[in-house]
Amino acid sequence: MRVLLGIFSVVTLLFMAACGESTDVVESGTYTGTVDEVEAEKSEIYVKTEDGQKLELYFIEETELTKNGEAVEFSALEEGQKVKVEVKKVGQRLDPLKVDIKE
Amino acid sequence: METLPSIWRTEVLHALSVHLPLVSLMLATLFFLVALILKKFWLKKASGALLIIGTIGAWITMLTGDAADGIVSRSLCDPTVLKTHENFASLTTILFTVASVVYILQALIDWGVKIKLIFHVIMGLLMVVGTVTLMYVGHLGASLVYQQGAGTHQPSEDCSEF
Repeated sequence: MRVLLGIFSVVTLLFMAACGESTDVVESGTYTGTVDEVEAEKSEIYVKTEDGQKLELYFIEETELTKNGEAVEFSALEEGQKVKVEVKKVGQRLDPLKVDIKE
Repeated sequence: METLPSIWRTEVLHALSVHLPLVSLMLATLFFLVALILKKFWLKKASGALLIIGTIGAWITMLTGDAADGIVSRSLCDPTVLKTHENFASLTTILFTVASVVYILQALIDWGVKIKLIFHVIMGLLMVVGTVTLMYVGHLGASLVYQQGAGTHQPSEDCSEF
């Protein structure tokens, strides 16, 4: 019985984890938020906005990344940093035009 | 003149790896259910083998899919479909992995008739639910390729690369 309960608990937890990663699509504009996750090998970040939306942003060639007004490399991005992002909505995709690290 | 991209580019590896687990896992579920109904022991063994092969294939496919994500996502018009595809692929892989573990446990250890029956019920449920989610993952994958062109090359109008 304990084994069955254990299996059920593990599956439930894993189910919740697998379903917990949905992202939101917003209109073109500027948003402030926190870097939720950084995937360096894909040049991708997830930003949690102040109103609780999770934006998936794949950096493109045109993306300008700055910190204190100066251009920086992608490696400067870390989880937990406050950022201001300007995004352009293309279809249901969000292209980050500018990402400014606030701290 | 445009050049033809390599058939062995990274994103194509996902297409190369996905079809084996897709078929193996669906057949594993089918064989399992038929074995229960017809009480054919060899079908249950075949189901177990297909389940394990398919589960290993599913994990490899998750890796190739992750690699493809970084390449195709910027060209998609609706990457939320890709995100849903990935989430359900993770869930499906987990379901079949747990089913595989349960299968191995009940095959290796003599738990007694009652516990073995419960293990079979759990396995069956996991595999049926996993097959449903697998079909949805496949549908989303097809949508990405055939509605958004994910990973595909669009030849030039004059076919100059050929």
